[in-house]
Amino acid sequence: MQYTTDVRIIRLMCTGRVDPPMLADAFMKGADGVMVVGCHFGDCHYITGNYQGKIKVGLASRTLDYVGLNPRRVSFSQCSSAEGERFVNMVSAFDQTIRELGPLGNAERVALPELKDKLAIAKTVLSREKIRWVVGKFTEFTTTGNKYGERFTEHEMWRTLDTIIMDEVATYEILRELENAPASAKEMAAKLKLPPPHVLKYVLALQRRGFVGLAEIDGTSPRYQIVDPMAKEEAA
Amino acid sequence: MAEEIRIGVFVCDCGSNIAGYLKVSELAEYAKTLPNVVYVKENLYTCSESGINEIKAAVKEQDLNRVVVASCTPRTHEPLFRETCAEGGLNPYLFEMVNIRDQCSWVHMQEKEEGTAKAKDLIRMGVAKASLLQPQEPIESPMDPRAMVIGGGISGMTSALALANRGYQVTLVEKAAELGGLLLQLDKIGPANADAASVAEKHAQQVQGHPKIKTLTATKIDAINGYIGNFKVTTSTNGVQEEFGVGVIVVATGARVLKPVGLFNYDGEKVITQLELESLFKKGAFNAKNVVMIQCVGARNEERKYCSRICCMVAIKNAIAIKERSPDTGVHILYRDIQAYGTENEELYQYAKQLGVRFLKYDQAKPPKVEEGRVTVYHHLLGRDLELPVDLVVLSTPLIAGEDNETISRLLRVSLDENKFFLEGHVKLKPLDFANDGIYLCGNAHYPATVREAISQALGAASRASIPLSRDVMTVEPIVSTLVDEDACRGCGLCVALCPYGALEIVRTEKGRKVKVIPVACKGCGVCAATCYQHALTINSYTDEQIGQQIEAFLETGTEG
Amino acid sequence: MLDVGRHPRINLLAYSEVENVSGDAGNFRVKVRKKARFVNEDLCTGCGTCAEKCPTMTVDVFNAELGSRKAIYKYFPQGIPSIYTIDKDACRQLGQGKKCGICAKVCQAKAVDFEQNDGEIQLHVGAIVVATGYDVFDPSVIPEHGYGRIANVVTALEFERLLSASGPTAGHLDRPSDMALEKEIDDLEKEHKKLSRQLKQLEEKHGKSSAQVMDLVKSGAAAADKDLHNWAASAERFGELEARLEPMRQKIGAAQPAKKLAFIQCVGSRDFRFNKFCSSYCCMHSVKEAMIANEHDNEVSSSIFCMDLRAVGRGFEEYKLRGGKQANIKYVRGRVAEITEDDALNPVVWFESTTSRQVLHETFDMVVLATACVPTAGTPKLAELLGIELDSNGFFKTDPLAPLNATRDGIFVCGCAQGPMDIPESVAQASSAAARAAEVVAPARQVAAAGSQ
Repeated sequence: MQYTTDVRIIRLMCTGRVDPPMLADAFMKGADGVMVVGCHFGDCHYITGNYQGKIKVGLASRTLDYVGLNPRRVSFSQCSSAEGERFVNMVSAFDQTIRELGPLGNAERVALPELKDKLAIAKTVLSREKIRWVVGKFTEFTTTGNKYGERFTEHEMWRTLDTIIMDEVATYEILRELENAPASAKEMAAKLKLPPPHVLKYVLALQRRGFVGLAEIDGTSPRYQIVDPMAKEEAA
Repeated sequence: MAEEIRIGVFVCDCGSNIAGYLKVSELAEYAKTLPNVVYVKENLYTCSESGINEIKAAVKEQDLNRVVVASCTPRTHEPLFRETCAEGGLNPYLFEMVNIRDQCSWVHMQEKEEGTAKAKDLIRMGVAKASLLQPQEPIESPMDPRAMVIGGGISGMTSALALANRGYQVTLVEKAAELGGLLLQLDKIGPANADAASVAEKHAQQVQGHPKIKTLTATKIDAINGYIGNFKVTTSTNGVQEEFGVGVIVVATGARVLKPVGLFNYDGEKVITQLELESLFKKGAFNAKNVVMIQCVGARNEERKYCSRICCMVAIKNAIAIKERSPDTGVHILYRDIQAYGTENEELYQYAKQLGVRFLKYDQAKPPKVEEGRVTVYHHLLGRDLELPVDLVVLSTPLIAGEDNETISRLLRVSLDENKFFLEGHVKLKPLDFANDGIYLCGNAHYPATVREAISQALGAASRASIPLSRDVMTVEPIVSTLVDEDACRGCGLCVALCPYGALEIVRTEKGRKVKVIPVACKGCGVCAATCYQHALTINSYTDEQIGQQIEAFLETGTEG
Repeated sequence: MLDVGRHPRINLLAYSEVENVSGDAGNFRVKVRKKARFVNEDLCTGCGTCAEKCPTMTVDVFNAELGSRKAIYKYFPQGIPSIYTIDKDACRQLGQGKKCGICAKVCQAKAVDFEQNDGEIQLHVGAIVVATGYDVFDPSVIPEHGYGRIANVVTALEFERLLSASGPTAGHLDRPSDMALEKEIDDLEKEHKKLSRQLKQLEEKHGKSSAQVMDLVKSGAAAADKDLHNWAASAERFGELEARLEPMRQKIGAAQPAKKLAFIQCVGSRDFRFNKFCSSYCCMHSVKEAMIANEHDNEVSSSIFCMDLRAVGRGFEEYKLRGGKQANIKYVRGRVAEITEDDALNPVVWFESTTSRQVLHETFDMVVLATACVPTAGTPKLAELLGIELDSNGFFKTDPLAPLNATRDGIFVCGCAQGPMDIPESVAQASSAAARAAEVVAPARQVAAAGSQ
């Protein structure tokens, strides 16, 4: 029973403890792959913690994928404490995958220095209220339903979360841009490779929430800036 | 905080288990270069008497305030080293273990260089986490040495008696006017062939005569608050409310027999249930020449998928009772599978066959047809329909969950399964415990059971309940959830809904609605901390910072990985 | 297990046997023989260096004799207490009188003690709980199932080891016939290699080819030269091995893991020749094994041959149905008449289908026998020691209305020692037995507590 020396294990009590920003953090700090290994379903030492773990890892993986990370760099696996051989096989297979992908940046849509910025945005998104609220309701909405008794399929929940990921990433990227200097929707759209109407939509939403205000009007296009110091903190 | 962090690192050779595959001296040298590390020692066996003494001595002499042992698995050795730290005068939670055996030497036997490099990383990660560790005190909570048993059937009475005989004060709550439960409606109990009513009565007398048991019949439970060791219960009996405290609760609420309305022409006269047959026996009113029993009526179908476990044995018991009363009466049992599991049951099954009870397998897709004076069933071996003359049809219907299960599960904050039976904490390891500490279950509340099984479970639940009862104070490891940022908490309850142990609750405080951790109920899984969008909760010894620091330490000067 | 080993109030006497019991409820005296491990329990750290260096291999009983282990061993990796034991019969030094002692040399804790003797312990206890479990029925006494004769007919417990990721095949469903072939090839290859080395040395030394020597001997020219005769014999054996190994290698190269499984229920239970009772858990065990096999490789299909499929616990019926829908499990009602073996070593199951009323036969890659749960071999002796009765099936007798009580006060029986049952029921019963035992010892405990105050 031997496996690669490239793995470092961080002990948590349960995969339920895995907080999505931890995964973004690991990649930001230079990890090439992250495996989350927990009990088999139905056999969780903490009853249902592993189900929560799977949802949280799923969220992290989707968010990281959206900002450009190759999703094969994240794995959620299961193995009991008596299954040494299985663990070895899982680690070896994952190691093989990571070797194929190469170092971080090699197999991603976005190249390295920029990727790290994107990962930082992902970490922020995963730490924030909106997405955490919805993912926290995942189990309730898919089993007992919301307070109107509507029950959602897992597929519907993931689709909702995907939309939120998209909105949140754009929002925090815009805040980061405005943090540097006032900018117009068009300028930011070019930089963030997003359609200008989308950027305008997010900017207007931020304006309504009081985070962003008008800085100047350059010709026909308005430039925006951060007005609420709270927003600066949020953007950080 | 100006405390100077002074870490001692102990690197274990584990004989040749570690030293044979890693350059342990190099590891020790390396550990000396790590931030905050003031003392490093290599041991042949850190867990041996001499290793332990060296840790204790170093804590004192070197004034260590954190200890890291790089050796084997915390699964087996963490308790020992924590204890050692405590004996040396250091808070045991200022200890961190690094596993360089199972995670390194054993799995990289052929790669001394790379393995050693990895072990350095692991030690660096452990030291990084250790720097952030905070002292913790074991959590203590007083234990109210009284118990409540909900349900006065055979399970509840047995449990109450077992607890009372151990010397604990028990309150037995029963919603009906008298004790006895389902037994009161039965004729005989198989396989002992004992008279059900007299068994129930004997137990009821013992319960009512027991100085340690207080029986509340015709009583409803209005509220249950609190947690293990400290439950507050409110009941009402004929409109009179009563409040009392208990330390543990046993759920023995039993089940109901399904009334097969609309199935197989059920009319309660010519087509009756097994329970109604037993009441005919009791009244001495049984009189039939040809009896057909049909199994799985309203069970193992689309609507109710489960097998009710006991109905085959009930049918066999009653078929034997018929044959013993009137040997000439023809008895057919139409079944899908005969669930005569175990030794005694199979024996009764064989005995029934010897007495002339005929068993006929039917197919779910071709169910028997009940008409006036006859039952038609498709016979597999003959390959055609068979007509059986009949003057009494007996339907074997499943036990279904008690009507109050949902209310009680809400009051106790425990789970039900999809059929509304109470759900145990772990199907194999904790069959009589709920996931929530201090609450136990037995008998039909859990799943249909024979009287033998119910008694056995009731004794078991009492045994489980007596473990905390026997202590004056509950002591729990402090690796639990903590509200570190009360101001941030908005009292939303997201964490409360996801806690598998019911260890969180929302309370009103001066600052508004806030979450409160019940440390004695918490097991430290961390789901709440990973969920809170305000980052108001964390897990002691597994905080975001500590985990982040481990990640950081791995990757900062990390070897290629 | 770990909890038992670590509990301050549990005195664990592993590798020990009860020899005598006297006294009454509340006041039993028990004599226990502690068998020699030849390893000092206080010194052994369970590090395992000894087993690693031990040169003697022997059969691994834990892995249903499908694998091998060393003569100094731990019954299984997670075993508690985590202490090694020397298998006296297999050990070179203790069993075969040879010089060895490698384990003692490599043990840095100095725990190996070849001089250790059995110890005797006297216990004074108030109550006794019997939890001796069960034995698995030996199916080789049923001629028609061919167990022992047909390689690819295994017991459910053996199959469990094959399925286990930590078992001898790492969870792959390699067929025992192929495993045996592999071992045979291994052995022959070892001999082949050795001979090849010897022949090469001889050829180099004498400057003659083996073929020449063989011709020489054949022609009678080597007459009395014993060395040449030996050389020729070796060369001949070498050629023989070459010829034998080639087809075997081809065969093993083409070997496939088992994909088509049959599970035979009630092997030795509900059978008046052997045990009339139902073993209770085997139906669900077979369904579980078929499910896991399918999870491991979703091409695996299973047929479960049964009289009644007894799925009586929470979620069992649902699990059974799920197996049928999602895991390629077919439930066949009927008792298997005979199992034969075809040329490719596949077991062939002959049975009468009670639904189509025909005698049918079907070929499988592997057959799994759901063997009965029977009283342990030591049950009658223990019953005699304890002075308690057995029931008609040979299990410890208990009272249906006092389901833990043995026939003597102060002695309680739980789990399969009182009859077949599944894990949840056993665990529940264990707690129940503890409750009963606690009632017996409670008065004494209260006195002790009062005395210490």
